[in-house]
Amino acid sequence: MFGFEKAHPLRVAGIALAIGISTIAAGSARAETVLRIAMTAADIPDWRGQPDQGFEGNRFVANSLYDPLISWDLSSSDKEVIVRPALANKWSVDPSDTKKWVFELRDDVKFHDGCAWNADAAVWNFERLLSDKHPAFAAFNFARARARTNNIERIEKIDDYKIAIYTKIPESLFYYNMPFLFMLSKCALDKAGNDYNVYAKAPVGSGPYKFASVVLHERLELIKNADYWDKKRIPKHDRVVLLPMPEVTTRVAALLSGQVDFIEAPSPDTIPALNSAGMTIVTNVYPHTWPYLLNNARGPFKDLKVRQAANYAMNRSEMVGLLPGVAVPSNGIFIPTQRWYGKPFQYAYDPKKATALLKEAGCYPCEISIAISTSGSGQMQPLPMNELVKEQLEAVGFKVKFATLDWNSLIDIYFKGQSTFPYDGVNFSSGATDPLSFVKSTMTAYKSPIGSNWGWYSNPEVDELGNAVLSSFDPTVQDELITKIHEAVVRGARNLMIVSDLNPRAMSPKVKGFVQAQSWFQDITQIYIADK
Amino acid sequence: MSNVGIAAAAPEIANNLSRPVVRGYWKSVGHRLRYDYVTLFFLSIILVIALLAVLAPLLAPFDPTKTSMINRMKPIGYRDFMLGTDELGRDMLSRLLWGGRVSLMMGLVPVFLATIIGGFMGVVAGFVGGYVNMAVMRTMDIFYAFPSVLLAIAISGTLGGGTVNGLLALTLVFIPAMCRVAESATTQVRNLDFVEAARASGAGTLSLILHHVLGNVLGPVFIYASSLISVSVLLASGLSFLGLGVEPPTPDWGLMLSTLRSGIYVQPLVCALPGVVIFITSLSFNLVSDGLRRAMDVKA
Amino acid sequence: MWYYALRRILLAVPIALGVSVICFALVYLAPGDPLQSLIPAEAKPEDVEQIRRLYGFDKPVPVQYLIWLKRAVSGDLGVSLQTARPVLLEVMNALSNTIIISAGAVLVAFTLAFVMGTVAAYHIGRPADRFVTSAAVIGVSIPNYWLGIVLVIIFAVKLGVLPATGMGSKGSTSFSLLDWEQAKYAILPMLTMTLVPLGIIMRTTRSAVADALNQDFVEMLRAKGLGPAAVLRHAIRNALPQVLTVMGLQFGYLVGGSILVETIFTWPGTGFLMSKAILTRDVPLLQGAVLILALNFVAINLLVDLVQTAIDPRIKRT
Repeated sequence: MFGFEKAHPLRVAGIALAIGISTIAAGSARAETVLRIAMTAADIPDWRGQPDQGFEGNRFVANSLYDPLISWDLSSSDKEVIVRPALANKWSVDPSDTKKWVFELRDDVKFHDGCAWNADAAVWNFERLLSDKHPAFAAFNFARARARTNNIERIEKIDDYKIAIYTKIPESLFYYNMPFLFMLSKCALDKAGNDYNVYAKAPVGSGPYKFASVVLHERLELIKNADYWDKKRIPKHDRVVLLPMPEVTTRVAALLSGQVDFIEAPSPDTIPALNSAGMTIVTNVYPHTWPYLLNNARGPFKDLKVRQAANYAMNRSEMVGLLPGVAVPSNGIFIPTQRWYGKPFQYAYDPKKATALLKEAGCYPCEISIAISTSGSGQMQPLPMNELVKEQLEAVGFKVKFATLDWNSLIDIYFKGQSTFPYDGVNFSSGATDPLSFVKSTMTAYKSPIGSNWGWYSNPEVDELGNAVLSSFDPTVQDELITKIHEAVVRGARNLMIVSDLNPRAMSPKVKGFVQAQSWFQDITQIYIADK
Repeated sequence: MSNVGIAAAAPEIANNLSRPVVRGYWKSVGHRLRYDYVTLFFLSIILVIALLAVLAPLLAPFDPTKTSMINRMKPIGYRDFMLGTDELGRDMLSRLLWGGRVSLMMGLVPVFLATIIGGFMGVVAGFVGGYVNMAVMRTMDIFYAFPSVLLAIAISGTLGGGTVNGLLALTLVFIPAMCRVAESATTQVRNLDFVEAARASGAGTLSLILHHVLGNVLGPVFIYASSLISVSVLLASGLSFLGLGVEPPTPDWGLMLSTLRSGIYVQPLVCALPGVVIFITSLSFNLVSDGLRRAMDVKA
Repeated sequence: MWYYALRRILLAVPIALGVSVICFALVYLAPGDPLQSLIPAEAKPEDVEQIRRLYGFDKPVPVQYLIWLKRAVSGDLGVSLQTARPVLLEVMNALSNTIIISAGAVLVAFTLAFVMGTVAAYHIGRPADRFVTSAAVIGVSIPNYWLGIVLVIIFAVKLGVLPATGMGSKGSTSFSLLDWEQAKYAILPMLTMTLVPLGIIMRTTRSAVADALNQDFVEMLRAKGLGPAAVLRHAIRNALPQVLTVMGLQFGYLVGGSILVETIFTWPGTGFLMSKAILTRDVPLLQGAVLILALNFVAINLLVDLVQTAIDPRIKRT
């Protein structure tokens, strides 16, 4: 056949036909698989670095386009989620200088545009988040990252794949900040002249997905990064489409009519209909609570008795009844499956006691104003739930007034703290995703806007415990102390504790391979679309 | 949801006031109405709705704000819940009855206030004429330049929502229309012969207004106001639907439509009820207003 | 006619100015410090000062209005707090989407309503008339956002023939009226919006045609020997200006009042933009959107007046 004999025309035609058919067959067998996800966010989360729209922004956008130095191990659904190496292979604190953290970086990573990942890239990334003199500084990135970078003094390159981060004060849990800081490609920002609006048209990271296209306010499309450095997490589908759909009925209708494949947070009332249509519903516990963060600094909730009264007024099982299958009562900031939960005091439903406490505190009727949102990641079904909370609170003697806002605005209120937005409470779903932010949120030194202590809770005993945690580098000691803090904060009724979410998601029966981790963050890369 | 022909209807109605008021006019109106069975029927429906709303405290079998998780989203006729329960377990019948008070109030009060304020402004502008007329009417034109939904949402949106702000917004939306109708009617009448005659015979300005002008103006104004009520009911329910009107847990038909939305997959009939009630109310006001217009011989 | 047209156009200018005053005042209606509502979340103190100076908050209110007006006229309506993109751009993008369904709704409504209204007028008082009139009244009495939800359940969920949400399979950039796969996204929103214009145009048509049929010239035409079809044609021609006026106005109302329908269908138009702006307290965006929509309505009013006068000079407007 490879000789020089004259090829018979029919034979040539036959071979050509065979090649043609197999090409076509191969082509159609390789039709693009698309995963369409409907999020609760009202708009597309910012993809230019630090995301907005809450953790949905991290979950679907930032963790798809970018990698941090350290990330979460989301591969299993039945264990607590812990950190794992990402762009950094190893990290440790220098025993002789507890303010110095050394990170060893991976040497086999390239950004989507070919830009190299090395110590220079890492230093550049951190410095742009810290100093407004840096050419690639952007106010929005700085502000969103501030809670995680405010203890960074400086960065130093040690060698091509090693950097040292110096903290201002010793902080044993410092590395827990890393999963929230995303590494961008310097080459891409250079190309965009450090203008983030230009960069937005072609953002570049090192993550499992590359940017494909965006239609403002409507959809963000990402395609798989087949050269991703983590071979275990190369996406099993070709393209993911992210659609903001804050209306729960719209999300459900979109799934039922086949317009999307995967939706976040279906409301419990729609779950039976989804089930009977053959959709898959998944739930799991995760470090989440749906509380009111209370203003401990001023107003009625400054008084411990009033805070306790609110907690005694909660009929948590009634709330769970409103959300069949997707909620469990919450009696703390951590959830019982987390190692730091301990044995916190239980505020059992006792309306009489609540009223007595209010009268003792001299706040009867007790007028409070609470900021709530209409949707948002982790906010569950805010409107009916808040109506129920209001009813339960008013039954014991509170008078509740709501300020209804959009999720992004509520996040803003959370970051700026009670000093800028003196509501008596904020319905801000929280998760103690990492022990560091939990500890800081209980300490006076980390009142927002400096840290995440929204309501300026202040308890000297807790402050001492917190300082001890942050300066102890022994994990057993850390765990003990964190548990003690948790129990103290629950006893001190810092929050109005209500329920925890079971993180419901619904997907079409063709969507397979999704492992729901016990976390706010999820790995969507392993999802594949089956033919039936 | 848009304005029900306000712009088209206003000058039309007033311009078509085809005859001056004479004694016996009202008698003939009543006569015409007596045989208009459709209008009478829907008028009685309005009266029934109003009665039910007024008597809600006596008629409602349950407390409209009492929630009960075990009884949530129950169908029509379940146990004592004649019309089922809502997403928080509250009795639908009670909420619809009590909601009628709020929804009817949100429908009637803005129109009433707008009629008085706008009507007054319009009559004054029409009667006095000249610069006063121009000032008033051009200001009204500016507000008229906003589509009503837009204006209502813009005003209540910036004010921050709530029942009072919603009422305020709706009133502001209707004042220009009422003013225009009143002004137009007044101008028409002012120029009619019999007014000249009355003036010539020495009648004072006030008595002129009271006896002659007002009598003729009331008709078109009243008809127009009645046609605005259904618009107001729909607009108010829309505001509540968006979260800008009545606040929970106050029962209000528009708000109920909004909060029951996700229950459609569980109890579609129950969730449709507030929509049905809004529809019937709006329809009734529309038909009665039409009937009145026919009876008073103004072109439909 | 030209004199009237000129007068009418000139008259629109003070109205537009008045509209701008109201829009400007919206910021001051909002509870809280107006400056706060104009500053993006992470502004530094120097930025705040800069914005303060830019908006002229240190100057008296009337001067602030003039500053705002000057910038508005040159197309600078400020920047959206949420997205940091120019308000004008955001609104114009969204406006084109709203116009698609509004225009579609009005055209469908007009076609149906004109036919039905004419039929009703021709058979006035008889069953056909009653049927048509009832349909019209029913149309304007239904809360249309509720109807939208029902339509989604029926056509998208149960029957699966139309999409439940969005504008195009790849978003609004892929939308095209010529491609059924894309155009079908507009069907349900359009149908929902058709209801009210349908009722109103039907009513106006019926009244106008009935009016025309009662006119003296009709008798004259009949006496001349013209058949009923020809008479009807004449009547329709007489009625058309009035109906077109109403159609134009309804279009304006739909564009300005689309917020509810667009929220249900996640249709990326000005209504949806405004509902988000309200919830995010994005005052510059809300202000800009209201201004543009109101001015748009003024323009439509103007156009309608001019067209009507051009077609039928007998109609005099004060």
